[in-house]
Amino acid sequence: MYSVADIDVDICGATKCRLCTQFCPESNTILYDSVRGTAYVAVDRCKGCEICVGICDDLAKHEAIKMLPIDKVVDGFEICKVGFKESLVEAK
Amino acid sequence: MSLETIKVSPGFEKYLPKEYQDLVDDGPFVKQRKVSEMGSFKEAIEEHPMCAGCAMTLFIRLTYVALPSLENSVIVGTAGCGRLAISQGAVPFIYGNYGDTNAVASGLKRGLDIRFPNQEKDVVVMAGDGGLADIGFHAVMHSWFRNEKFTTIMLDNEVYGNTGGQESGMTQKGTVMKMAPLGKKGEKMDMIALAKTSGVAYIARVAPTNPTRVANTIRKAVLIAREVGPTYIQAYTSCNIEYAIPTPLVMDDAREVEADRYGFTEYFTDEAKSYWDNTGRKIKGTVKK
Ligand SMILES: Cc1ncc(C[n+]2csc(CCOP(=O)(O)OP(=O)(O)O)c2C)c(N)n1
Ligand code: SF4
Ligand code: SF4
Ligand code: SF4
Repeated sequence: MYSVADIDVDICGATKCRLCTQFCPESNTILYDSVRGTAYVAVDRCKGCEICVGICDDLAKHEAIKMLPIDKVVDGFEICKVGFKESLVEAK
Repeated sequence: MSLETIKVSPGFEKYLPKEYQDLVDDGPFVKQRKVSEMGSFKEAIEEHPMCAGCAMTLFIRLTYVALPSLENSVIVGTAGCGRLAISQGAVPFIYGNYGDTNAVASGLKRGLDIRFPNQEKDVVVMAGDGGLADIGFHAVMHSWFRNEKFTTIMLDNEVYGNTGGQESGMTQKGTVMKMAPLGKKGEKMDMIALAKTSGVAYIARVAPTNPTRVANTIRKAVLIAREVGPTYIQAYTSCNIEYAIPTPLVMDDAREVEADRYGFTEYFTDEAKSYWDNTGRKIKGTVKK
Protein backbone atom coordinates (compact mmCIF):
# COMPACT_ATOMS: atom_id res chain seq x y z
CA MET A 1 0.00 0.00 0.00
CA TYR A 2 1.29 3.47 -0.77
CA SER A 3 -0.05 6.95 -0.11
CA VAL A 4 -0.62 9.88 -2.41
CA ALA A 5 -1.17 13.57 -1.81
CA ASP A 6 -4.77 14.68 -1.45
CA ILE A 7 -5.62 18.38 -1.64
CA ASP A 8 -8.61 19.77 0.24
CA VAL A 9 -10.04 21.87 -2.57
CA ASP A 10 -12.17 23.95 -0.20
CA ILE A 11 -9.16 25.12 1.80
CA CYS A 12 -6.92 25.52 -1.26
CA GLY A 13 -9.64 27.17 -3.35
CA ALA A 14 -9.91 30.00 -0.84
CA THR A 15 -6.22 30.93 -1.15
CA LYS A 16 -5.10 31.65 -4.77
CA CYS A 17 -1.77 30.25 -3.66
CA ARG A 18 -0.29 27.76 -6.25
CA LEU A 19 2.95 27.28 -4.32
CA CYS A 20 2.99 23.46 -4.28
CA THR A 21 2.66 23.36 -8.09
CA GLN A 22 6.19 24.81 -8.26
CA PHE A 23 7.83 22.41 -5.82
CA CYS A 24 6.47 18.98 -6.70
CA PRO A 25 9.43 17.22 -8.33
CA GLU A 26 7.15 15.47 -10.82
CA SER A 27 5.92 17.19 -13.98
CA ASN A 28 2.19 17.27 -14.80
CA THR A 29 1.30 15.97 -11.32
CA ILE A 30 -0.04 18.86 -9.24
CA LEU A 31 -2.33 20.63 -11.68
CA TYR A 32 -4.20 23.87 -11.21
CA ASP A 33 -7.85 24.40 -11.94
CA SER A 34 -8.15 28.10 -12.63
CA VAL A 35 -11.97 28.05 -12.51
CA ARG A 36 -12.25 26.68 -8.99
CA GLY A 37 -8.91 28.32 -8.11
CA THR A 38 -7.52 25.15 -6.61
CA ALA A 39 -4.59 22.84 -7.07
CA TYR A 40 -5.37 19.11 -7.44
CA VAL A 41 -3.30 15.96 -7.79
CA ALA A 42 -3.07 13.44 -10.62
CA VAL A 43 -2.99 10.36 -8.40
CA ASP A 44 -1.45 8.19 -11.09
CA ARG A 45 1.60 10.48 -11.23
CA CYS A 46 2.09 11.22 -7.53
CA LYS A 47 5.07 9.33 -6.06
CA GLY A 48 4.09 10.04 -2.46
CA CYS A 49 7.19 12.01 -1.44
CA GLU A 50 5.26 14.48 0.78
CA ILE A 51 7.31 17.48 -0.34
CA CYS A 52 4.07 19.29 -1.20
CA VAL A 53 2.76 18.73 2.34
CA GLY A 54 5.76 20.56 3.81
CA ILE A 55 5.39 23.37 1.26
CA CYS A 56 1.70 23.84 2.04
CA ASP A 57 2.09 23.57 5.84
CA ASP A 58 5.36 25.46 6.39
CA LEU A 59 5.74 27.91 3.47
CA ALA A 60 2.17 28.60 2.37
CA LYS A 61 0.78 27.99 5.90
CA HIS A 62 -2.51 26.60 4.60
CA GLU A 63 -2.39 22.94 5.67
CA ALA A 64 -4.51 21.88 2.71
CA ILE A 65 -2.63 18.69 1.75
CA LYS A 66 -2.83 15.34 3.51
CA MET A 67 -1.36 11.99 2.48
CA LEU A 68 -4.00 9.36 1.84
CA PRO A 69 -3.57 5.60 1.25
CA ILE A 70 -4.33 5.07 -2.43
CA ASP A 71 -7.31 2.80 -1.68
CA LYS A 72 -8.95 5.55 0.40
CA VAL A 73 -8.86 8.08 -2.43
CA VAL A 74 -12.37 8.70 -3.73
CA ASP A 75 -12.66 9.59 -7.43
CA GLY A 76 -8.93 10.26 -7.71
CA PHE A 77 -8.04 12.11 -10.86
CA GLU A 78 -5.91 10.06 -13.30
CA ILE A 79 -4.23 12.08 -16.01
CA CYS A 80 -3.36 9.03 -18.14
CA LYS A 81 -7.05 8.47 -18.82
CA VAL A 82 -7.83 11.90 -20.22
CA GLY A 83 -4.62 13.71 -21.13
CA PHE A 84 -3.65 17.16 -20.05
CA LYS A 85 -6.00 19.59 -21.74
CA GLU A 86 -9.08 17.52 -21.12
CA SER A 87 -7.99 17.13 -17.51
CA LEU A 88 -8.48 20.82 -16.88
CA VAL A 89 -11.97 20.59 -18.34
CA GLU A 90 -12.78 17.34 -16.55
CA ALA A 91 -11.87 18.66 -13.13
CA LYS A 92 -14.18 21.64 -13.33
CA MET B 1 12.80 20.01 -33.51
CA SER B 2 11.70 23.44 -34.66
CA LEU B 3 8.04 23.81 -35.57
CA GLU B 4 9.27 25.60 -38.70
CA THR B 5 11.37 22.61 -39.76
CA ILE B 6 8.75 19.96 -39.18
CA LYS B 7 5.24 21.14 -40.01
CA VAL B 8 2.08 19.08 -39.71
CA SER B 9 0.02 19.03 -42.89
CA PRO B 10 -3.09 21.15 -42.38
CA GLY B 11 -6.05 19.01 -41.33
CA PHE B 12 -3.90 16.29 -39.77
CA GLU B 13 -3.19 17.99 -36.44
CA LYS B 14 -5.98 16.14 -34.68
CA TYR B 15 -4.45 12.75 -35.54
CA LEU B 16 -1.23 13.49 -33.70
CA PRO B 17 -0.76 12.12 -30.17
CA LYS B 18 -2.63 14.00 -27.46
CA GLU B 19 0.68 14.84 -25.78
CA TYR B 20 1.96 16.56 -28.92
CA GLN B 21 -1.22 18.58 -29.32
CA ASP B 22 -1.17 19.68 -25.67
CA LEU B 23 2.47 20.76 -25.91
CA VAL B 24 2.09 22.63 -29.19
CA ASP B 25 -1.39 24.13 -28.85
CA ASP B 26 -1.10 25.63 -25.44
CA GLY B 27 2.10 24.34 -23.89
CA PRO B 28 5.69 25.51 -23.58
CA PHE B 29 6.35 25.07 -27.31
CA VAL B 30 4.37 28.12 -28.34
CA LYS B 31 5.47 30.58 -25.72
CA GLN B 32 7.75 30.86 -22.75
CA ARG B 33 5.82 29.80 -19.69
CA LYS B 34 6.42 31.20 -16.25
CA VAL B 35 7.06 29.30 -13.06
CA SER B 36 3.95 30.98 -11.65
CA GLU B 37 1.89 29.27 -14.37
CA MET B 38 3.08 25.77 -13.54
CA GLY B 39 0.15 23.40 -13.20
CA SER B 40 -1.80 25.29 -15.88
CA PHE B 41 0.10 24.09 -18.94
CA LYS B 42 1.33 20.74 -20.12
CA GLU B 43 4.99 20.30 -19.22
CA ALA B 44 7.48 18.62 -21.52
CA ILE B 45 8.57 15.78 -19.22
CA GLU B 46 6.54 12.60 -19.09
CA GLU B 47 6.57 9.82 -16.49
CA HIS B 48 10.03 8.59 -15.55
CA PRO B 49 11.64 6.31 -12.96
CA MET B 50 13.66 8.79 -10.86
CA CYS B 51 13.16 8.28 -7.12
CA ALA B 52 10.27 9.88 -5.24
CA GLY B 53 11.16 13.29 -3.83
CA CYS B 54 14.44 13.65 -5.72
CA ALA B 55 15.58 17.28 -5.79
CA MET B 56 17.32 16.61 -9.10
CA THR B 57 13.95 15.76 -10.62
CA LEU B 58 12.57 19.11 -9.49
CA PHE B 59 15.58 20.93 -10.93
CA ILE B 60 15.18 19.18 -14.29
CA ARG B 61 11.46 19.98 -14.29
CA LEU B 62 12.25 23.67 -13.74
CA THR B 63 14.88 23.59 -16.52
CA TYR B 64 12.28 22.50 -19.06
CA VAL B 65 10.05 25.40 -18.03
CA ALA B 66 12.93 27.88 -18.19
CA LEU B 67 14.50 27.11 -21.58
CA PRO B 68 13.90 30.16 -23.79
CA SER B 69 13.09 28.14 -26.91
CA LEU B 70 12.12 24.58 -26.12
CA GLU B 71 11.51 23.66 -29.76
CA ASN B 72 15.06 24.69 -30.69
CA SER B 73 16.85 23.10 -27.76
CA VAL B 74 18.96 19.96 -27.63
CA ILE B 75 20.01 18.43 -24.31
CA VAL B 76 23.25 16.46 -24.04
CA GLY B 77 23.60 14.16 -21.05
CA THR B 78 25.10 10.87 -20.06
CA ALA B 79 24.87 7.97 -17.63
CA GLY B 80 23.62 9.03 -14.20
CA CYS B 81 20.23 9.57 -12.60
CA GLY B 82 19.21 12.74 -14.45
CA ARG B 83 19.00 11.09 -17.85
CA LEU B 84 16.15 8.91 -16.58
CA ALA B 85 13.90 11.99 -16.61
CA ILE B 86 15.69 13.96 -19.34
CA SER B 87 15.18 11.08 -21.78
CA GLN B 88 11.41 11.36 -21.18
CA GLY B 89 11.31 15.04 -22.18
CA ALA B 90 9.87 16.24 -25.48
CA VAL B 91 13.22 17.74 -26.45
CA PRO B 92 15.94 15.89 -28.39
CA PHE B 93 18.31 14.24 -25.94
CA ILE B 94 21.77 13.05 -26.92
CA TYR B 95 23.08 10.38 -24.59
CA GLY B 96 26.81 10.99 -24.70
CA ASN B 97 29.26 8.38 -23.50
CA TYR B 98 30.20 8.95 -19.89
CA GLY B 99 33.03 11.44 -20.23
CA ASP B 100 32.43 13.02 -23.60
CA THR B 101 29.33 15.22 -23.07
CA ASN B 102 31.09 18.53 -23.63
CA ALA B 103 33.02 17.28 -26.64
CA VAL B 104 29.75 16.06 -28.20
CA ALA B 105 28.02 19.34 -27.33
CA SER B 106 30.84 21.37 -28.91
CA GLY B 107 30.54 19.57 -32.24
CA LEU B 108 26.77 19.56 -32.09
CA LYS B 109 26.45 23.29 -31.47
CA ARG B 110 28.83 24.14 -34.29
CA GLY B 111 27.13 21.67 -36.63
CA LEU B 112 23.65 22.99 -35.84
CA ASP B 113 24.78 26.56 -36.55
CA ILE B 114 25.95 25.47 -40.00
CA ARG B 115 22.92 23.30 -40.74
CA PHE B 116 20.30 25.80 -39.49
CA PRO B 117 21.76 29.26 -40.12
CA ASN B 118 18.36 30.89 -39.68
CA GLN B 119 17.48 29.24 -36.38
CA GLU B 120 19.12 29.72 -33.02
CA LYS B 121 19.77 26.28 -31.56
CA ASP B 122 20.43 26.03 -27.84
CA VAL B 123 22.65 23.17 -26.73
CA VAL B 124 22.55 22.43 -23.01
CA VAL B 125 24.66 19.81 -21.27
CA MET B 126 22.95 18.47 -18.17
CA ALA B 127 24.76 15.74 -16.24
CA GLY B 128 25.87 14.69 -12.78
CA ASP B 129 28.86 15.76 -10.76
CA GLY B 130 30.55 12.44 -11.55
CA GLY B 131 29.81 12.94 -15.24
CA LEU B 132 31.21 16.48 -15.40
CA ALA B 133 33.79 16.90 -12.63
CA ASP B 134 35.32 13.42 -12.73
CA ILE B 135 35.04 11.33 -15.87
CA GLY B 136 34.01 14.22 -18.17
CA PHE B 137 36.36 16.74 -16.62
CA HIS B 138 38.82 17.10 -19.48
CA ALA B 139 36.08 17.66 -22.05
CA VAL B 140 34.33 20.20 -19.80
CA MET B 141 37.55 22.18 -19.30
CA HIS B 142 38.50 22.17 -22.96
CA SER B 143 35.04 23.26 -24.07
CA TRP B 144 35.48 26.23 -21.74
CA PHE B 145 39.02 27.00 -22.94
CA ARG B 146 37.78 26.88 -26.54
CA ASN B 147 34.96 29.27 -25.66
CA GLU B 148 32.25 26.96 -26.99
CA LYS B 149 28.84 28.62 -26.97
CA PHE B 150 26.65 26.33 -24.91
CA THR B 151 25.48 25.92 -21.33
CA THR B 152 26.77 23.26 -18.94
CA ILE B 153 24.53 22.40 -15.99
CA MET B 154 25.97 20.23 -13.24
CA LEU B 155 23.32 18.33 -11.27
CA ASP B 156 25.46 18.23 -8.15
CA ASN B 157 24.14 15.61 -5.74
CA GLU B 158 27.66 15.19 -4.37
CA VAL B 159 27.72 11.45 -5.08
CA TYR B 160 27.47 8.84 -7.82
CA GLY B 161 23.77 8.24 -7.16
CA ASN B 162 22.99 5.99 -10.08
CA THR B 163 25.60 3.38 -9.20
CA GLY B 164 24.95 3.16 -5.49
CA GLY B 165 26.99 5.73 -3.60
CA GLN B 166 30.61 6.20 -4.62
CA GLU B 167 32.30 9.48 -3.74
CA SER B 168 32.84 12.00 -6.54
CA GLY B 169 35.22 14.94 -6.78
CA MET B 170 32.28 17.08 -5.67
CA THR B 171 31.60 15.10 -2.47
CA GLN B 172 32.47 17.01 0.68
CA LYS B 173 35.62 16.01 2.56
CA GLY B 174 34.97 13.43 5.27
CA THR B 175 31.62 12.21 3.92
CA VAL B 176 31.06 8.51 4.56
CA MET B 177 29.23 6.81 1.72
CA LYS B 178 28.16 3.22 1.11
CA MET B 179 31.13 2.76 -1.17
CA ALA B 180 33.45 5.22 0.60
CA PRO B 181 33.29 3.65 4.06
CA LEU B 182 36.36 5.42 5.44
CA GLY B 183 35.11 8.86 4.42
CA LYS B 184 36.26 10.97 1.52
CA LYS B 185 39.87 12.07 1.85
CA GLY B 186 40.08 15.10 -0.46
CA GLU B 187 38.24 18.43 -0.54
CA LYS B 188 35.19 19.15 -2.73
CA MET B 189 36.44 20.40 -6.08
CA ASP B 190 35.98 24.11 -6.66
CA MET B 191 34.46 23.98 -10.13
CA ILE B 192 33.24 27.56 -9.84
CA ALA B 193 36.83 28.80 -9.50
CA LEU B 194 37.93 26.54 -12.35
CA ALA B 195 35.16 27.97 -14.53
CA LYS B 196 36.32 31.51 -13.76
CA THR B 197 39.93 30.64 -14.59
CA SER B 198 38.84 29.10 -17.89
CA GLY B 199 37.00 32.26 -18.97
CA VAL B 200 33.41 31.04 -18.65
CA ALA B 201 31.14 34.00 -19.45
CA TYR B 202 28.44 33.40 -16.85
CA ILE B 203 28.63 31.16 -13.79
CA ALA B 204 25.95 30.52 -11.19
CA ARG B 205 25.60 28.36 -8.12
CA VAL B 206 22.05 27.65 -7.05
CA ALA B 207 19.88 25.35 -4.93
CA PRO B 208 16.27 24.54 -5.83
CA THR B 209 14.74 26.49 -2.96
CA ASN B 210 13.36 29.28 -5.12
CA PRO B 211 11.87 27.98 -8.40
CA THR B 212 11.61 31.41 -10.05
CA ARG B 213 15.26 32.13 -9.35
CA VAL B 214 16.27 28.74 -10.75
CA ALA B 215 14.30 29.44 -13.94
CA ASN B 216 15.71 32.95 -14.34
CA THR B 217 19.24 31.63 -13.87
CA ILE B 218 18.83 28.95 -16.53
CA ARG B 219 17.29 31.37 -19.02
CA LYS B 220 20.10 33.84 -18.42
CA ALA B 221 22.77 31.17 -18.90
CA VAL B 222 21.25 29.95 -22.16
CA LEU B 223 20.83 33.44 -23.64
CA ILE B 224 24.36 34.50 -22.66
CA ALA B 225 25.77 31.27 -24.16
CA ARG B 226 24.13 32.13 -27.50
CA GLU B 227 25.78 35.51 -27.75
CA VAL B 228 28.90 35.56 -25.60
CA GLY B 229 30.43 32.21 -24.68
CA PRO B 230 30.26 29.20 -22.39
CA THR B 231 28.06 29.34 -19.29
CA TYR B 232 28.02 27.07 -16.24
CA ILE B 233 25.37 26.39 -13.63
CA GLN B 234 26.16 24.28 -10.60
CA ALA B 235 22.99 23.14 -8.88
CA TYR B 236 22.69 21.47 -5.50
CA THR B 237 20.29 18.61 -6.16
CA SER B 238 20.48 16.28 -3.15
CA CYS B 239 20.32 12.51 -3.50
CA ASN B 240 17.84 11.53 -0.80
CA ILE B 241 18.70 7.84 -1.22
CA GLU B 242 22.47 7.98 -0.76
CA TYR B 243 22.34 10.77 1.85
CA ALA B 244 19.41 9.11 3.66
CA ILE B 245 17.23 12.22 3.66
CA PRO B 246 13.57 11.34 4.37
CA THR B 247 11.66 12.66 1.35
CA PRO B 248 9.40 15.05 3.33
CA LEU B 249 12.62 16.79 4.47
CA VAL B 250 14.29 17.18 1.07
CA MET B 251 13.43 20.87 0.81
CA ASP B 252 14.47 21.51 4.43
CA ASP B 253 17.84 19.97 3.57
CA ALA B 254 18.11 22.17 0.46
CA ARG B 255 17.43 25.29 2.54
CA GLU B 256 19.95 24.26 5.20
CA VAL B 257 22.71 23.42 2.73
CA GLU B 258 21.99 26.63 0.84
CA ALA B 259 22.30 28.69 4.02
CA ASP B 260 25.41 26.84 5.13
CA ARG B 261 27.58 26.51 2.02
CA TYR B 262 25.59 26.59 -1.23
CA GLY B 263 24.21 30.14 -1.31
CA PHE B 264 23.13 31.65 -4.62
CA THR B 265 26.07 33.31 -6.35
CA GLU B 266 26.53 34.46 -9.90
CA TYR B 267 29.51 35.78 -11.81
CA PHE B 268 29.73 37.51 -15.22
CA THR B 269 32.69 38.40 -17.37
CA ASP B 270 32.63 42.06 -18.40
CA GLU B 271 31.42 41.12 -21.86
CA ALA B 272 28.63 38.92 -20.49
CA LYS B 273 27.57 41.61 -18.03
CA SER B 274 27.43 44.24 -20.71
CA TYR B 275 25.41 41.95 -23.01
CA TRP B 276 23.01 41.05 -20.23
CA ASP B 277 22.43 44.57 -18.96
CA ASN B 278 22.06 46.15 -22.39
CA THR B 279 20.25 43.42 -24.33
CA GLY B 280 19.60 40.06 -22.67
CA ARG B 281 17.54 41.12 -19.70
CA LYS B 282 15.19 43.15 -21.91
CA ILE B 283 14.26 40.15 -24.04
CA LYS B 284 10.83 38.83 -23.15
CA GLY B 285 9.17 35.49 -23.85
CA THR B 286 10.32 32.81 -26.27
CA VAL B 287 13.39 33.87 -28.24
CA LYS B 288 13.96 31.88 -31.37
CA LYS B 289 16.53 34.14 -33.00
C1 LIG C 1 32.73 5.09 -19.00
C2 LIG C 1 31.75 4.69 -17.96
N1 LIG C 1 32.19 4.38 -16.71
C3 LIG C 1 31.30 4.05 -15.75
C4 LIG C 1 29.97 4.00 -16.02
C5 LIG C 1 29.00 3.59 -14.94
N2 LIG C 1 28.21 4.67 -14.39
C6 LIG C 1 26.93 4.89 -14.78
S1 LIG C 1 26.18 6.13 -13.94
C7 LIG C 1 27.59 6.39 -13.03
C8 LIG C 1 27.63 7.41 -11.93
C9 LIG C 1 26.91 8.64 -12.19
O1 LIG C 1 27.22 9.59 -11.20
P1 LIG C 1 26.95 11.11 -11.46
O2 LIG C 1 27.50 11.51 -12.78
O3 LIG C 1 27.39 11.89 -10.28
O4 LIG C 1 25.37 11.18 -11.62
P2 LIG C 1 24.23 10.79 -10.57
O5 LIG C 1 23.83 9.39 -10.86
O6 LIG C 1 24.75 10.99 -9.20
O7 LIG C 1 23.15 11.75 -10.90
C10 LIG C 1 28.62 5.50 -13.40
C11 LIG C 1 29.93 5.45 -12.76
C12 LIG C 1 29.54 4.31 -17.33
N3 LIG C 1 28.25 4.32 -17.67
N4 LIG C 1 30.45 4.65 -18.27
S1 SF4 D 1 0.44 24.96 -1.26
FE1 SF4 D 1 -1.56 24.38 -0.33
S2 SF4 D 1 -2.87 26.19 -0.48
FE2 SF4 D 1 -1.09 26.46 -1.88
S3 SF4 D 1 -1.82 25.70 -3.87
FE3 SF4 D 1 -0.84 23.99 -2.85
S4 SF4 D 1 -2.51 22.96 -1.77
FE4 SF4 D 1 -3.25 24.97 -2.31
S1 SF4 E 1 3.58 13.79 -2.71
FE1 SF4 E 1 5.37 14.39 -3.95
S2 SF4 E 1 4.92 13.57 -5.99
FE2 SF4 E 1 2.98 13.59 -4.85
S3 SF4 E 1 2.04 15.53 -5.38
FE3 SF4 E 1 3.17 15.85 -3.47
S4 SF4 E 1 5.18 16.63 -4.14
FE4 SF4 E 1 4.20 15.70 -5.93
S1 SF4 F 1 19.43 7.72 -6.52
FE1 SF4 F 1 19.48 9.78 -5.62
S2 SF4 F 1 19.90 11.23 -7.32
FE2 SF4 F 1 19.27 9.25 -8.20
S3 SF4 F 1 17.06 9.48 -8.57
FE3 SF4 F 1 17.32 8.51 -6.54
S4 SF4 F 1 17.34 10.21 -5.08
FE4 SF4 F 1 17.68 11.09 -7.12
